[in-house]
Amino acid sequence: MIIYVSGGCKNGKSSHAEDWAIRLSGGKPLYYIATMIPHDDEDRARIRRHIESRAGKNFITIERGMDIAGVIPELDAGGTYLMDSVTALLGNEMFHDGIIDADAADRTVRDLKALTGSVANIVFVSDFIYADQGLYDEFTDGYLQGLAHIDRSMAEIADCVVEIVLAQPIIYKGSLPE
Amino acid sequence: MELIIGGAYQGKLEYALKHYGLTGADVFDCRDFSFEGGAKPDFSKKILYHFEAYVLACMRAGVSPLEWLPEEAIVISDDIFCGVVPIDTEIRAWREECGRTLTAIAARSSSVTRIFCGLPARIK
Repeated sequence: MIIYVSGGCKNGKSSHAEDWAIRLSGGKPLYYIATMIPHDDEDRARIRRHIESRAGKNFITIERGMDIAGVIPELDAGGTYLMDSVTALLGNEMFHDGIIDADAADRTVRDLKALTGSVANIVFVSDFIYADQGLYDEFTDGYLQGLAHIDRSMAEIADCVVEIVLAQPIIYKGSLPE
Repeated sequence: MELIIGGAYQGKLEYALKHYGLTGADVFDCRDFSFEGGAKPDFSKKILYHFEAYVLACMRAGVSPLEWLPEEAIVISDDIFCGVVPIDTEIRAWREECGRTLTAIAARSSSVTRIFCGLPARIK
């Protein structure tokens, strides 16, 4: 089963996503693909909070900020995975080594689709960043378009698509695991 | 009147074309329009796309965005009103005018649909 989760920041996406991954795993191994590559103390504090929130939930953490395709051969085909977040992954793929990688969004869609085909269950966490007045520079706008392309491509193949608003799930497709 | 809203790049137009069985020929893209030289919007088209851009054009021309709005149309607009209050005076006024205008359009619409990741949620 594929669950795609998005919503505003600090609205409880990760915590719900963790719970759904646990339900999907049915006691089988549970993995957490952490995509943030920390750049400063704020990032490190955010990662620490996420690690604390996962403590005791039996997630095996895989730190992978780029090249998801490269890690697929090592994955557990019977495992349940949680990727948090697609947003950070695209940032890493698009902006690295001082360049803007124009192929990043398409490549990420390919990688994530390959990933979904290689594991039993997966929950993706993305971010809803599209509802302000926009008018960004072309790099930021390119990032918005890229993330929206990933969101829509993955929502199309997902079994369940859910927006989290103030910790309340709003289901757009399918149903959540019991 | 039907209203389709949602964040940028969520697939609102693709949804509308498919849902109503229309093509690009049925679309009036408000981003290409301005009132300069006395031009009037071609609201004979079924879909009025990027209506938020039309709201800005109206503000600049000092007319109401509702003035030429037909009884029947499929209005598509980016939801631009959820971000931080913009510093720029005109953008700040635009954001508010969009909120007011779309609320008025929603009130007279038989359906309001929000598109999220390409998927529709009917909110009216």
